[in-house]
Amino acid sequence: MAAQAPATPVHPTPVFAMNGVTKVYVMGEVEVYALRGVDLELHEGEFTVLLGPSGSGKSTLLNILGGLDRPTAGRVTYRDGDLSEAGERALTRYRRRHVGFVFQFYNLIPSLTARENVALVTEIAGDPIAPEEALALVGLKYRLDHFPSQMSGGEQQRVAIARAIAKRPDVLLCDEPTGALDISTGIAVLGALEKVNSELGTTTAVITHNAAISAMADRVISLADGLITSDVRNATKQPAATIEW
Amino acid sequence: MRALDRKLLRDLWNVRSQVLAIALVVSSGIALLVMAQGVFGSLETTRDAYYTRYAFADVFAGAKRVPNWIEERIAAIPGVRQVQTRVVVSVSLDVPGVTDPVNGRLISLPDRGRPALNDVALRRGRFLDPDRAEEALVGERFAEAHGLDLGDRLFAVINGRRQPLEIVGVALSPEFVYGIGPGELVPDPKHFGFLWMTRRHLATAFEMEGGFNDVALTLADDSPSLERAAIVELDAILDPYGGLGAIPRADQTSNWYLENELTQLENMGLLVPLIFIAVATFLLNVVLRRTVAVQREQIAALKALGYSNLRLGIHYVQWAVVVVALGALLGIGAGLLLAEAMLGLYMEYFRFPLLIYNVSASSILIAVGVSLVAATVGALGAVRSVVSLPPAEAMRPAAPETFRVSLFERLGARRWLSQPARMVLRNLSRRPVRAGLSIVGIAFAGAIMVVGSAMMDSMDELLEVQFNIIQRQDLSVSFFEPVERSAVHELAALSGVLQVEPTNGIAARLRSGHLQKQTAIQALAPDARLQRVVDVDYRAIRLDRPGLVLSTLLAEQLQVEPGDTLMVEIMEDGRPVREVVLTDTVDDLLGVTAYMEQESLRRLVRRDDTISGAMLKIDSLAEERLFGLLKAMPAVAGVTLRSAALENIQTYMLDNMSMMMSVNLLFAVIIAFGVIYNTARISLSETSRELASLRVIGFTRGEISSILLGELGILTVASIPLGLLLGYGMIAGVMSAFESELFRLPVVVDPNTFLVSAATVLGSMAVSAWTVRRKLHELDLVAVLKTRE
Repeated sequence: MAAQAPATPVHPTPVFAMNGVTKVYVMGEVEVYALRGVDLELHEGEFTVLLGPSGSGKSTLLNILGGLDRPTAGRVTYRDGDLSEAGERALTRYRRRHVGFVFQFYNLIPSLTARENVALVTEIAGDPIAPEEALALVGLKYRLDHFPSQMSGGEQQRVAIARAIAKRPDVLLCDEPTGALDISTGIAVLGALEKVNSELGTTTAVITHNAAISAMADRVISLADGLITSDVRNATKQPAATIEW
Repeated sequence: MRALDRKLLRDLWNVRSQVLAIALVVSSGIALLVMAQGVFGSLETTRDAYYTRYAFADVFAGAKRVPNWIEERIAAIPGVRQVQTRVVVSVSLDVPGVTDPVNGRLISLPDRGRPALNDVALRRGRFLDPDRAEEALVGERFAEAHGLDLGDRLFAVINGRRQPLEIVGVALSPEFVYGIGPGELVPDPKHFGFLWMTRRHLATAFEMEGGFNDVALTLADDSPSLERAAIVELDAILDPYGGLGAIPRADQTSNWYLENELTQLENMGLLVPLIFIAVATFLLNVVLRRTVAVQREQIAALKALGYSNLRLGIHYVQWAVVVVALGALLGIGAGLLLAEAMLGLYMEYFRFPLLIYNVSASSILIAVGVSLVAATVGALGAVRSVVSLPPAEAMRPAAPETFRVSLFERLGARRWLSQPARMVLRNLSRRPVRAGLSIVGIAFAGAIMVVGSAMMDSMDELLEVQFNIIQRQDLSVSFFEPVERSAVHELAALSGVLQVEPTNGIAARLRSGHLQKQTAIQALAPDARLQRVVDVDYRAIRLDRPGLVLSTLLAEQLQVEPGDTLMVEIMEDGRPVREVVLTDTVDDLLGVTAYMEQESLRRLVRRDDTISGAMLKIDSLAEERLFGLLKAMPAVAGVTLRSAALENIQTYMLDNMSMMMSVNLLFAVIIAFGVIYNTARISLSETSRELASLRVIGFTRGEISSILLGELGILTVASIPLGLLLGYGMIAGVMSAFESELFRLPVVVDPNTFLVSAATVLGSMAVSAWTVRRKLHELDLVAVLKTRE
């Protein structure tokens, strides 16, 4: 594993800023604290891995950053906008323009081919990458007209990444992108993420419970029980292709 | 309660709105069936009880004048059980305060005691006092129509003389359950009434002392051969006395209408409910298949816990049973209420002194049973595919669905379509059978709407043809006895009369081989303009060849074709029998009639140039004065206003049909909503994951709604032409089921009917869409990303 150094801000204005963010889910008569007052900043072009066991609050954090959920208390800003106060329409617009999502179960539309799944996004985006180009970026230019059911899990996940980046998002949020994949396909997917981050400069946050992945990050944030337990910056990034678990 | 039963209840509760929608469709079918069977059963039972209790006769005959001692000879006919002789006369009535022409029939009651046959049921007042000549009983509907009360007086115009009548009682008779006057289709109590008088006084007024002109009898049993033999004997006995030919109960006017109505009820009471039940079963099947598919892993888990396939099968069958039971409960309740309302309507036109509710339990059980079996088969079909998997396999998610580019896109449309549009098309084309079934289901709703309204259209058409194309007179006059043709000139001379055409009709029995039919032959002038014979295209047929023209239905019944020769037995003095060639048949709509050119008929009957009535076109300003003049003419038996007849029929139809129409509309909306709503909910549950994914990547609610509703819209729009087509087919079927001697409804569908049907379906879609769209807003975006498919 690469040597770790304390995190220091490299960019003056953060892409995301969270202040005292708390999220409480009411499950019947029980209140579950998913986040307990988290402070966090994410910066332009950073590749961040959010590490933690299940139940640590990392998915909640990602959902709030992605505009899928609102905090119960605290403040979240995306550049100059306040996500914690934004309404349903504003959040939809935010997701549409700025955020690319990659999920554990790909969430592709089974009735659309790889190219069409990407086109789904490029059709509603302002300045998109051509679907073919986005798919080429993740190494799928020979799979353009395949339906999800005709592709392996790794291929499907790379389609999902292509779909996420085709709109040239400002941030790419990935929730356990390799969680459903075996190691070799998982590494291909991580390679695609790495490439997007380095070639397009997209701010990327990956949540995972797989500590090995943190080796390829600029910054590794660990969560446990709704709190950030550590926040470290990797001195050197390890190429995705060399990661093993 | 067992855990599995709890699961059942909770599962049902989770999809309660769908369960309710399906149960409502089931209940519509059952309600219609219970209603039709209830009305049918109650009317039939009531009729039977009424006929028995008031001794409705088996055979009826009229004559000119028969001496009383002949009664014994009639009673001696083999198989005759009871005989009732009577004096029956048609009169013109003068009801104080009424200017319209009113006609009536006076019927004699025995001087002492009750009649042995065709007894009257006293509704109010008392029976007649034989010593008082002016007393009369009056029919209930007639009394109601004119607001007549006990003690009120009216006048019968007898030979130009006004005979006062005092009402002492209001009565009903099994002979006049459907109390129509001559030439009427619908009882018109404002213009025609039945009255009863003591035999002695009625005979005196009509110079019928010592004789009778009407006889009814009952037979020892109801074998057709006995009936035929009795009629032959009776005709032979009455022949010398101007016998008009005996008719069996089946041909008795009121009974014949009642019988026709019952047959229609019986036919309709089966066909339409079955359609509803079929649609409901289809819905249940689709919803259940989907539920089972969603619960695939639960089923596997239950199997892993040791539940048997049988137990799980039963579990899902119970699902279907609960829905059907709910529908049955609602349907039986609604059906009973509807039956009562319909019976109330029937009682307005078909009068009985008693009403016995009788809903056949067996037919309801059959309907519920058919629904249950159909639902069970559907449920088992849905479960079988899942329980047949080994638990371990079933616990894994089903293989991803395979899609392909839809045919429409392959034909070249692909490049024009957005990705959401492609999703819609591929979702539909992936399950073409289900899409097809949904289309058919929605189409049924549209079709039922078409059927409901098209019946109204047909009736309108029928009336239009009958009252504007066939009958164009303003009023018709009938005479007691045939009068000389010169009467036409007398009528024409009355001021206000614009045009007169004679009519001539004779009662006749048409015979071909062993088949025979009692009817009237109408004589028309070749150039008749006020009453015409028209063909199926409503073109007037010129009667200029000697020979008979028959309603197509009548020709079919007698199995004759143009060119064939028929025997015509003329129901007048001596009942002469002549041979006549059938020259043509005509597809007329009302009644079954025979027509002849008037000169040919005169030669056939070999009598002087007489007429039995006349058609008049009049100046409407002179109407009232003309009524007075006509009533005062001794020869005039009755005057009928075309406008009154038309209005009366329209009221009847509005009364009768508007209820059926509302019921139809309600049930069509239920079906449309049931199918569309369920289709929408199923596509929602199938695509919610995709839709949530789209929301996550930035699609707005409006955009994902349009994907879901686009699918719904395509199904609905595709169903509309099919629904109209199906509706047209169904209406043609219904009309041929309706075809009776009474009328043949033309199959016409007003464009508005199609529009209303399409609008109802689209409206149901809009409501379903609106309901489901609210569900879309509740999509849990986070949850859907955390679960695998």
